Amino acid sequence: MSRKQIIISWLSLIVLTFISVLANDFIDNFQLFIIVVMLIVFIKGQQIVDTFMELKTAPTFWRLLLISYTLLIPLIISIIYLM
Amino acid sequence: MNNAIEISTLEDKKLPGDLAMWFFILAELTVFAIFFISFAVTEQLNPEMFSQGKAQLHPVAGLINTLALITSSFFVALALNAIHQGKRKVSVSWLITAQAFAILYLIVKMWEYQSLFNVGISLETNTFFTLYFLITAFHFLHVILGMIILSYITFRTYKGAYRSNVSGFEAGASYWHMVDLLWIILFPLIYVI
Repeated sequence: MSRKQIIISWLSLIVLTFISVLANDFIDNFQLFIIVVMLIVFIKGQQIVDTFMELKTAPTFWRLLLISYTLLIPLIISIIYLM
Repeated sequence: MNNAIEISTLEDKKLPGDLAMWFFILAELTVFAIFFISFAVTEQLNPEMFSQGKAQLHPVAGLINTLALITSSFFVALALNAIHQGKRKVSVSWLITAQAFAILYLIVKMWEYQSLFNVGISLETNTFFTLYFLITAFHFLHVILGMIILSYITFRTYKGAYRSNVSGFEAGASYWHMVDLLWIILFPLIYVI
């Protein structure tokens, strides 16, 4: 992974962390708040898997396995909180 | 010509590190998935207790730890990038910086535990704190194991061990990124929601 991509991923992770923390102050609707926070978790997880773990250039099976984890866990958590 | 390109693409798709480390990572992710789901389900069953418990945590400490782990992971990624380019000394510097941020995480986490102990909160206080201490302490132990692995990689990099084969470096780096990935889920679950 290029140095530029690593820096962009790091900056996006920092910005997304602050957005998820501040979301509580700006979003009154609890359901929407959960969806936004868990969507941010998925995007951050995808950044870590693809850029930091370098799985973007790995065999598709392994990349999908890790990406599906970052999708499924926030999805299950969202469903539990929204039930 | 097209076949040649396809074969080249397949050969380029290499799993970083070694397969054993990836199976270990999958096992760790599965264990934490059970913790995360258990925490969310128990919160739905005891909303009042979890709301009061979360109010006694230190969200700023959680935020500092998130930033520390993300930044530590960033420096490990830079270190791997440097070793791919044969820049051994630069790689060692980034690895040491990554560990400095990991130490920051440990200090903040220990301060948070101590401040909770000081007001009489412990593992036995209620279900929320039992889960809180179990999940975060289990993650804390993973950070320590990750730091041991990073220290070993730093020593090996300093000795020039990763000249032709960086597989060991990649495996250790992947483990560290997994520790970061777990915290990315853990932080909003315990501190934000």
